Amino acid sequence: MKNRGATILAIIGAALLILPLVVHDTFVLRVLTEGVMWIGLAIAFDVIAGYTGYLNFGHGAFFGIGAYTIGILMMQAHLPFWAALPAGGVAAGIVALIAGIPTLRLKGAYFAIATWALSRAIQQLALNMEMTGGPDGMRLEAFLNPQFFYYLMLITVGATFAILWYLLERAPFGLKLKAIREDEEGAKALGLNPTKLKMQSFILSALPTGILGGIYAYWITFIDPSSTLGDLVSDQAVVMVVFGGMGTLFGPALGAILIFAFKTIFWAYLSDFQLLYLIILGALIAISVIFIPNGLWGTLVKRKAGATRPEQKAEPASEPAALSAVAAPEEGN
Amino acid sequence: MAEPILKVNSVTKCFGGLTAVDDVSFSVEKGEIVGLIGPNGAGKTTLFNVISGYYAPTKGNVIFQGNDISGKPPYDLAGVGIGRTFQVVKPFAGLTVLENVTIASFLKHPKKADAERHAWQVLETTGLADRANVSAAGLTLAGRKRLEISKALALEPSFLLLDEVVAGLNPTEADRTVELIMKLKAQGLTILIVEHIMRVIMNISDRLVVLNFGKKIAEGTPSEVSSDPHVVQAYFGEEAA
Ligand SMILES: Nc1ncnc2c1ncn2[C@@H]1O[C@H](COP(=O)(O)OP(=O)(O)OP(=O)(O)O)[C@@H](O)[C@H]1O
Ligand SMILES: [Mg+2]
Repeated sequence: MKNRGATILAIIGAALLILPLVVHDTFVLRVLTEGVMWIGLAIAFDVIAGYTGYLNFGHGAFFGIGAYTIGILMMQAHLPFWAALPAGGVAAGIVALIAGIPTLRLKGAYFAIATWALSRAIQQLALNMEMTGGPDGMRLEAFLNPQFFYYLMLITVGATFAILWYLLERAPFGLKLKAIREDEEGAKALGLNPTKLKMQSFILSALPTGILGGIYAYWITFIDPSSTLGDLVSDQAVVMVVFGGMGTLFGPALGAILIFAFKTIFWAYLSDFQLLYLIILGALIAISVIFIPNGLWGTLVKRKAGATRPEQKAEPASEPAALSAVAAPEEGN
Repeated sequence: MAEPILKVNSVTKCFGGLTAVDDVSFSVEKGEIVGLIGPNGAGKTTLFNVISGYYAPTKGNVIFQGNDISGKPPYDLAGVGIGRTFQVVKPFAGLTVLENVTIASFLKHPKKADAERHAWQVLETTGLADRANVSAAGLTLAGRKRLEISKALALEPSFLLLDEVVAGLNPTEADRTVELIMKLKAQGLTILIVEHIMRVIMNISDRLVVLNFGKKIAEGTPSEVSSDPHVVQAYFGEEAA
């Protein structure tokens, strides 16, 4: 099972690497680049939303902050792209740290509302500041090399996936975040500091998102408050992750691919109906929550039997009373 | 006599106008099982919450192994050796039993493989190993109570607070849990236990502390306490006294 998964991943990775050598159509490459970007945005969003249980409705703000940081550093401080890019991630991380202090104390819907409101406030800032170009946005120096951006996006998202996979699925960190998600008070008794873990998770979610925003800005060469700081980035991330399967990495990746493919086809044929697209997104969230609460991935891939019991020392056959712990009708709480 | 492992000094805890724990003092010696009893609402769980760092005392302090721990957060107290269970159980419902216990094992075993191995050992001790891979939400009440104990034990604590881990179990399950508690005592663990079932608490406790309306009304060996008129009155009302 493990080996098969690794093989499939290796094949997908190799195919994605070779693709630009085969596909020369700029439009197709552009769609693929954006698709890969959405996988990155979705898995980064899932760190705080799925693993930690804090639904961040302002995820798009990290993306926009990364985009503007790169834009400002390149166009006003005249830094080269490679020097500006890490700053995009760092800026998003710092904003997560500052925004997290008040908001991560809130639970459930209150956190969602607060983060949404904060992201709206950041959009207003970008609309009204001179440095950002206000509503007119900002044009970056153009570097027209679709292959470059495809590979840069692919490598960034690949690295993000690998790092998150290690931290969340291999290292203790992921389980600790899940403990916070399941029961914050109970987690404290086990030596976990929820404030610290939530903050780490929020920053870990923001960093790659800021970097992706930076790559996006240089790639698209034009950013404005509605394209990078609008609701759409957050909304799509939410739908991709909820639809794909929260608290896993493959779920959001799958959700990102499907939703983005749908969006691309939809907008290509029905470009006049952006409102309809938003309505469909909203309906999709509702349908996922009601009918597939574990998302597509959680529904399709049932969790495997899990860890195997280590060799037992010679002990008398398990006592019958052990059976009393077996699942049976609820006895109340 | 050696320094007690735990000293509760004139602890008071108020919720607004309500004094849930009222000037309570007692201590627990190393290796002892002390039973904390009292009618519903007497303040037992509140006192547990003060000792384990969930509440800071309004007045007084708590000394653990010679250090004032009052007001320190629960996650720091877990680190110094205080393990606790919750009367209203707190399983990580979306995770497996093994994952639940592994999370607690991280405290002393920072590597995941080591923590998992340790969690298995704990589950063998508590009799939940057969259920290791089921979701914690799928356990019965008995299973969840045992999971509470497993998580607290996985911290490898020196001092264990057990809040009604026997209540609600059938007699066979109850006996098994009592057996486990005695085994832990034999291993040198110090235990403060809240329990309503008199048969259990009288048998396993070396000493008892009795609370009523937040106040300590008696302290002593089980036989001393059960013949104490204040205790009889608290449990059976005016006429019986
Ligand atoms: N967080 C809280 N806020 C306000 N009042 C509380 C709080 N926790 C407990 N109380 C009150 O404090 C008193 C003591 O409650 P506590 O839970 O400590 O009693 P207990 O001895 O554990 O009772 P039981 O045997 O029913 O578990 C009760 O009157 C309870 O309503
Ligand atoms: Mg209680």
